[in-house]
Amino acid sequence: MALAIRRSTSDIFCAAKWFIRRDCRVLSTLPEKAEVEVATVTKKEKHIRTRGSRNSALENRFVYPEFLPDPNPNWRNSLREKLERADMLKRRNQIDIPEFYVGSILAVTVADQHSQGKTNKFVGICIERKGCGLRAEFTLRNVVDHQGIEVRYDLYDPTIQIIQVLRLEKRLDEKLFYLRDALPEYSTFPFDMDPEILPEGTPVPLNPVQVKLKPRPWLERWERQDLKGVSNIEEHLKEKDRVRRELRATPWEKYDLMKQYRQTIPIEDQNDIWAEVNSQLQQLHMTRKKMSRKRTFSTPKTQLG
Amino acid sequence: MKRHILCLTTRLTQNSLIKTLPLSRFLSSKEAIDRRYHLFMLEKKRQYDKVGRIEKIEVQYKGLPNECTLIMNKDISTPYDCARHLSQFHMETSALALIDNTIYWDMHRPLTENCTLELQSFTCADPHQVNRAFWRTCSFMLGACATVAFKDSVPVKLHSFPGPDIRSGSFIYDVDLPSLGNWQPTHQELVTLGAEYVKLARLNEPLERLEVGEDLALEMFVDNEHKTKQIPSIAKANGKVTLYKVGKHVDISKGPMISTTGQIGRVAVTAVHKLNGSEDNDANQLYRFQGVALPTGVTINHFAFSILTDRARKLNTARSPVQRAADCEESESIAMKA
Amino acid sequence: MNQAEVSKLVSKLRIKVPPKHRKLPNPKGPEGRLDKLRKTVTGLIKYERIELNYNRADEARQYAERLISEAIRHGDCHKPTMDTANFWLLEKELVHKLFKVLVPRFENSSVAYTKLYNAPKPQYARVLDKAVLELKGNPYPELGNKQTNNKYFIQNILLDAAKHEYRQAKYAEVANKIGQAGNETSPVNTENAEKLNEKPMSS
Repeated sequence: MALAIRRSTSDIFCAAKWFIRRDCRVLSTLPEKAEVEVATVTKKEKHIRTRGSRNSALENRFVYPEFLPDPNPNWRNSLREKLERADMLKRRNQIDIPEFYVGSILAVTVADQHSQGKTNKFVGICIERKGCGLRAEFTLRNVVDHQGIEVRYDLYDPTIQIIQVLRLEKRLDEKLFYLRDALPEYSTFPFDMDPEILPEGTPVPLNPVQVKLKPRPWLERWERQDLKGVSNIEEHLKEKDRVRRELRATPWEKYDLMKQYRQTIPIEDQNDIWAEVNSQLQQLHMTRKKMSRKRTFSTPKTQLG
Repeated sequence: MKRHILCLTTRLTQNSLIKTLPLSRFLSSKEAIDRRYHLFMLEKKRQYDKVGRIEKIEVQYKGLPNECTLIMNKDISTPYDCARHLSQFHMETSALALIDNTIYWDMHRPLTENCTLELQSFTCADPHQVNRAFWRTCSFMLGACATVAFKDSVPVKLHSFPGPDIRSGSFIYDVDLPSLGNWQPTHQELVTLGAEYVKLARLNEPLERLEVGEDLALEMFVDNEHKTKQIPSIAKANGKVTLYKVGKHVDISKGPMISTTGQIGRVAVTAVHKLNGSEDNDANQLYRFQGVALPTGVTINHFAFSILTDRARKLNTARSPVQRAADCEESESIAMKA
Repeated sequence: MNQAEVSKLVSKLRIKVPPKHRKLPNPKGPEGRLDKLRKTVTGLIKYERIELNYNRADEARQYAERLISEAIRHGDCHKPTMDTANFWLLEKELVHKLFKVLVPRFENSSVAYTKLYNAPKPQYARVLDKAVLELKGNPYPELGNKQTNNKYFIQNILLDAAKHEYRQAKYAEVANKIGQAGNETSPVNTENAEKLNEKPMSS
């Protein structure tokens, strides 16, 4: 497990904004406009889902992307992939690895022999999912005591005890690294957050929140990455940056059919993989559902107690 | 050049008038070949001149790239000329022409009337006749190779070759070598024969066809007693003998044959077997030259080819022309078939 | 270690795809490379058979295959596909050809849509490898000698005859052995052995 710590720009700045921040965050997460957009987006999502329902096995690729092998043929090994898939299913029998996406808020409890109670719980927003097979990993980000903290977890790490999804949602972008340069309130989540339970059958909501970046210097040239989840990027740009962005633009890349092909696993290959694991994944999903229903009955009792 | 040929022919005709048969019998094989070649060319020129006024015929071409009608010269244009109008590909690959869907026609034989024309290659859907023509040509070329390969001190008298039988595994030519009583060719000699064959084939000479009268045929083969014996029975049907020429070599064959010798690709002369005949036959022993060949463009694994050559080494069981006393006629009939 | 892209679904190509692309060196970089390939793909769709350097042919073949497979998968009512076709085909009437001619031609095909031949080159010359790239089902005559398994070809007749002869020899040998064994065990029963001798020969 790697621990990535980034120091926030200046403590004074943070201290000054300490009181304003909470209000900002409330405003930013629940703007009135956003509600409308969510509705339209969910419609779209539904449309996609109904179309995709013809081949539900293929839809697994969004939920379990790590079951697809690495698209680089130099690193393919059909036997190793098969063994890894079997191991992944075994691990999933042991603990509940829920469905989550980049942008979801997770709470992860890992065994930690040095901490009190031998466990360590971390809450944060998932800013990246990468890797395939047993090496699949995800990174959580939170701001604790004005300090940005990122923790990278291996999804199939045996020291992980619980992975709990506190809020299941997607964001506008594939990777949320720009949160590192955004105002801290966008990546600040309380550790005692309550899990939000979505009604059954609803599609995964898309959170169309657009973050505000801090002024430069930035860690990356965000202006060149065509980010949808950033609202104020143009404010911080000089004329020079805009010119360079134009120079560096690669508008032909979306037509590079072979580049796309080399980044994906073709349908025929995916069908084989999902045919192999789909039934077990579905079975696991059903048992987890039953368990969670039981737990929803039991948890209020304990709370009452 | 023309004058030289003319001079030579007058001398030759004089010779024939004086009937110096015993003399011509002692022509060396090279002289005999030259003589035959010049007679062939003269006869060809005579027939060409006989055409007279040029008439046009319509040839309906069927096949790739598209069907078309070609206006050609009667008795002068050949299917090869038609192919030259189409493309180099057609010139090089077509081995045999199919006239009116029925008659297989040599590529270098002039067309005589309006007809439809299909060009057949070794890779057409049903190459049966092309294969037969190929095998026949290979036998014919083996004769040419045998006449050229030996030293001047060894007289070579070609006898005949039977009709093509591809399934027998080898093409053959029966040759009389009177000065070699008991010859067992070494491996080196066979390789040399094969090299000679390849050398001849690489010259890429066209195979020209000519029909001549019996008298002229006898005149041409005056030095070869086997052929002179065969010619009357061959000419029995219509008084004509069909001759083929490649380079300077002229031989009797029924035809048809393939277009050029360049279409003979991989080839091996595999064996020379002795055929013993009966006592009363004048040629009491013949040598059966055997070989195996594939058309140009056919690529075959060396192992597969070694199987073919191994098989072609065994004595081909086609009927021997000197086997029995009564075979004398049969040998002629074999020659007719060829 | 990468994760496969899941937002797009592609059909599998029926050709061998090398792990890395060729750069096709160009002063304009990747854009120039795609420009080159666009010209080639347009030429291929237009003429259906083209002769060019092997590297470029192999690279363009992959793009042409992808374009056709996308067209087959999504049809002409799918906007992104139409956009892609518009990018790749420099002559716009070829877009119609792609969707109206090539898609019906290759719809039910289970093999690759294009064919790549190595073209001949002079034996001792230092020249680039040449190739011939063609769409399948084109109107031109066949390039290769495709029907090598026609049993009437002379090489096949010869090999078949050789095989037949070899088998006959083997049958005769086996029959002889059986005959000898029969003779040794029961010298009376010679008729059977003879029958056995005949049987395989006739078959």
